[in-house]
Amino acid sequence: MIFGMGVFKGMMVTLKNFLTSYVCKPDNGGIFTVQYPEEREKVIENFRNFPFLVYDETPEKIRCVACGICERECPPKCIHIEMALDAAGKPTRKPAVFDVDYGLCMNCGMCEDVCPFDSIFMDHAFEVTAPEQSEGLVRHKERLMKSNEYFQKVRPTLASAIDQKRKASEDKKKAAAAQAPAPPPPSAGGPPAKQEPK
Amino acid sequence: MIRSWEFYVDMIFVTAKAWILSLLGRFLPDWIVVLASITISGVVILCLGPVIMMYLTLLERKVIGRIQNRYGPNRVGKWGLLQPIADGIKMFTKEDIVPANADKIVHLLAPIVIVVPALMIFLVVPFGERMTAVNLNIGLLFFIAVSSVTILPIFMGSWASRNKYSLLGGMRTAAQMISYEIPMTLAVVPAIMMSQSLSTNTIVLAQTGDFDLHWFIFTPWGIVGFIIFFLCATAECNRPPFDLPEAESELVAGFHTEYSGMKFALFYMAEYMNAFTLCGIAATLFLGGWQGPFLPSWLWFFGKTFLLICVMIWFRGTFPRFRVDHLMGFAWKFLLPLTLINILLTALWQFTSNLTAWLWSILILGISLWILVKLNRTFVPEKRHYPLES
Amino acid sequence: MPILEIAAKFGTYAVMAVILIFALGVVTFRNLFHCALCLAAALIGTAVIYVVLQAEYLAAIQILLYVGAVVTLIIFAIMLTEHLAGKTARQNNSQSLLAIVGLLGFVTLLATLILKTPWPVTPTALQAKNSVMGLGKALMGTYVFPFEVISIILIAALIGTVVIAKKDAPEEPL
Repeated sequence: MIFGMGVFKGMMVTLKNFLTSYVCKPDNGGIFTVQYPEEREKVIENFRNFPFLVYDETPEKIRCVACGICERECPPKCIHIEMALDAAGKPTRKPAVFDVDYGLCMNCGMCEDVCPFDSIFMDHAFEVTAPEQSEGLVRHKERLMKSNEYFQKVRPTLASAIDQKRKASEDKKKAAAAQAPAPPPPSAGGPPAKQEPK
Repeated sequence: MIRSWEFYVDMIFVTAKAWILSLLGRFLPDWIVVLASITISGVVILCLGPVIMMYLTLLERKVIGRIQNRYGPNRVGKWGLLQPIADGIKMFTKEDIVPANADKIVHLLAPIVIVVPALMIFLVVPFGERMTAVNLNIGLLFFIAVSSVTILPIFMGSWASRNKYSLLGGMRTAAQMISYEIPMTLAVVPAIMMSQSLSTNTIVLAQTGDFDLHWFIFTPWGIVGFIIFFLCATAECNRPPFDLPEAESELVAGFHTEYSGMKFALFYMAEYMNAFTLCGIAATLFLGGWQGPFLPSWLWFFGKTFLLICVMIWFRGTFPRFRVDHLMGFAWKFLLPLTLINILLTALWQFTSNLTAWLWSILILGISLWILVKLNRTFVPEKRHYPLES
Repeated sequence: MPILEIAAKFGTYAVMAVILIFALGVVTFRNLFHCALCLAAALIGTAVIYVVLQAEYLAAIQILLYVGAVVTLIIFAIMLTEHLAGKTARQNNSQSLLAIVGLLGFVTLLATLILKTPWPVTPTALQAKNSVMGLGKALMGTYVFPFEVISIILIAALIGTVVIAKKDAPEEPL
């Protein structure tokens, strides 16, 4: 063993790293860094972030019926819902106010799990900024609502499964309605499909 | 006159200065011209030092980044070229904090004083042919003397901060710099012996030859001297792996723990300018300074210097820090005897410089290296075995 | 160039004044660390005077040895003994009478030496004696015996310190 060999070996390792960083791909000793604003890593499909509300064709046909289950289940209590009333003061099963405080939300996805109307889902949009914390990060209904196409785009597997399920239950309902037309159909909102709330 | 364009490229700075002076000389008295000559050189050095320091930080961050498989700073300007300026603005606008119990005046003076020797060494560095600011006939001695003063402001800063980390850092700096100054000075001696001069210019001129490639590093004593000098230079400017004075994991930031803003920047600046000048002197002494074929002289000088700086950065990217006792032992027990042997080798080379001298040198070096390594072996106690009682 | 010469003259006097101020600082400052720093400044000023007198070699050696080594050692000692650098340390001597007598003797000795030395030296002789090569030749030729004697004394001192330091060390090899 020649004196100083270890030092020399160590220097060769760093030299190799230095040179390969210019020519090689990340997996063979190149640079791993993703230059964020210009380059982005591909977001995986099951990535979950802040919740959003799905509507079907038009913003009027929102799936949410303002049942308030997510509001109750939300661990950090970041959801606030008020049901809309019609002219007679009767509840219309539509949300008048649906606020989510993104500053409080902890991205747990509990609301997505408990929603019986397939209305609230977790989004892929993670670049959420605001100039101040109290008001700026509260998202109101208008900004929370996103179309089903968008849902299909960001999480295609889940969205198609939900669509199929909804279509199947819709068909079943139609068939049932054809058999016994006695009770009138509730309203534009979809019937309970997932599970009965406690 | 068959002076080719190469000559003019070589002399571009010298010619520019002479032209300005002749222009001034037409309508101004002589003494102003003399002052102007001094001022031009002074201003060039005063600008060169900080600019080199700024871009050294960028180079270091880039190279270290590449060694660690990442891009360095690349956001401010193309390839991060404006990053040093952004850093400078940041440093200027930072709050200047002085500890309550600090010795205010000394605390203020230390970072100012430390820049002075760092800038003064630039005076004797031969940047190119006829491009030494002051052609002192004791240039090398001047360099050694001035760089030895660097300890003083470090002491001032560390003592005035009234901080245990600063004080420990200062003590370590003093111990390290005094220790490494001795092998560094002795490593220079062979170059002085062979060129028979202390002037940096004459030392460079002594290395001319076919293709301007008769550099001292191509001799056995030259390469040993160069390695020793370069290691000591790395230790002198407190760079890794010899960065015990500012060992982050032990001493927060060593002697400049209590400094912030522009004062800290001045310490930083002195460190990088020292690194540059030490590399420049190493290039002058052993790599032939501005000598070299084809390219203009100043380009050769800066090329060699930046190559050496890259090696320093490479060291930083590779080695972990020394242990304190190993650091001292390395200087006193290994480098110092080796420099003395190297001086003997130089004397041998002076009288018989041919193939047999090469063989003799390698033989002597090999034997002495072997003996030194044997003597320097750290004491490892024998592993004890405790047999189970039967 | 009379203007430059006058300027150089005034510069030299200014440097001398600064040296005197710092020298006063060495003996008057309460804080020992400040005294040491003043000493360093005064020594650097002396080196500047040497440069003005065209003795660059002497100036470089002055800085290298006195500022780089001696003052550093003094500061090292001060830093190791923290209470010496405290604000309450007194800076006067209880035996001032003896000190004044000694000082007067030293001053008379120095004055006689200065007055007796034949100062007018020719520039050529100055050049020859000042060059590094001349100094080296003198050390290795004319004055080789005292030079070697001094080095023997130095080595003896070094070995002495090692021996003294060794006694304090513990017996075991580790």
